Amino acid sequence: MREATSARVAHLLREKGFNAFVLVGGFAAWRKAGQATEPVPRDDLVKLPTFR
Amino acid sequence: MHDVLSLIAHHGYAVVFVVVLSEAIGLPVPAAIALLAAGAAVASGALSAPVLLLVAVLGMLVGDSLLFVLGRHMGWALLGWLCKLSVNPETCILRSAESFYKRGKITLVIAKFIPGINTMAPPLAGSMKMDPLLFLQLDVAGATLYALAYGSLGFLFRDFLVAITHGFQTASRAVEMVLLLGLIAYIVYRVQLYRKHSIYRIVPRVQVEELARKLASEDKSNVLLVDVRSHGYYDPNAARIQNSIRLEPNNLPEEIKNLPKDKDIYVYCT
Repeated sequence: MREATSARVAHLLREKGFNAFVLVGGFAAWRKAGQATEPVPRDDLVKLPTFR
Repeated sequence: MHDVLSLIAHHGYAVVFVVVLSEAIGLPVPAAIALLAAGAAVASGALSAPVLLLVAVLGMLVGDSLLFVLGRHMGWALLGWLCKLSVNPETCILRSAESFYKRGKITLVIAKFIPGINTMAPPLAGSMKMDPLLFLQLDVAGATLYALAYGSLGFLFRDFLVAITHGFQTASRAVEMVLLLGLIAYIVYRVQLYRKHSIYRIVPRVQVEELARKLASEDKSNVLLVDVRSHGYYDPNAARIQNSIRLEPNNLPEEIKNLPKDKDIYVYCT
């Protein structure tokens, strides 16, 4: 299913009372349309546990 | 399937090694069936249990170690490539990562019993910089458990051996029944998945142009962009929509605590 993750998250947010929407086509569509992007901050890169 | 059973009966260890190695590197071959048949061959005295266990564990270890090393050097790019064959590549990565999130390193021990996670676990462990020695210990434990589980089943069901060695037609029918049941189970799973996802279709959607217009207007202070892509898309040098924030989809209850309720939240993934 397209936008599976964003739809799941947006659905949960709406259930919690947030006014959430899904961006059709996701990041790929956004970038394809030539809209503004930025590098992902380093702090956001490490979210999973690492075993070091 | 008939060919696999026949090969096990006649060529034993070599076939088991190749089949479990192939499955370990992600090829769609039935390692569980091969181990069942090999276990039955042990019951008949055609194969030796310790040698079979050694060969099976070694085969899995070689395949898993290969993916572990590749995962260590290629990171999420390899995971993305491995997930390309799945229906939803992002969900594939997300679910695999979720398993490590919930269970930690013990995932490696049980991964072989979980379809979809079995191939992903070693490269995930590699990309998460697990110590190679720790990986080998856990992987040997998992491979041994897997080989023992299916080998023992084959050993206990000796009648199955008779079907393999003396009546391939019977074995084929049994396998066909198993395949048919598997197919039915898969269809039921897909229907359930479809129904589960259908509730998400009621979530309002916006097109790129509409959101871009909103961000260019005075209304933009009322907009919050939320990136929920899974880890595979978060390699160094990755990009995201300007001014968006990261929300970890594996940890939503905690992550949404600080979200503002007075803004329009636009969620996006890949």
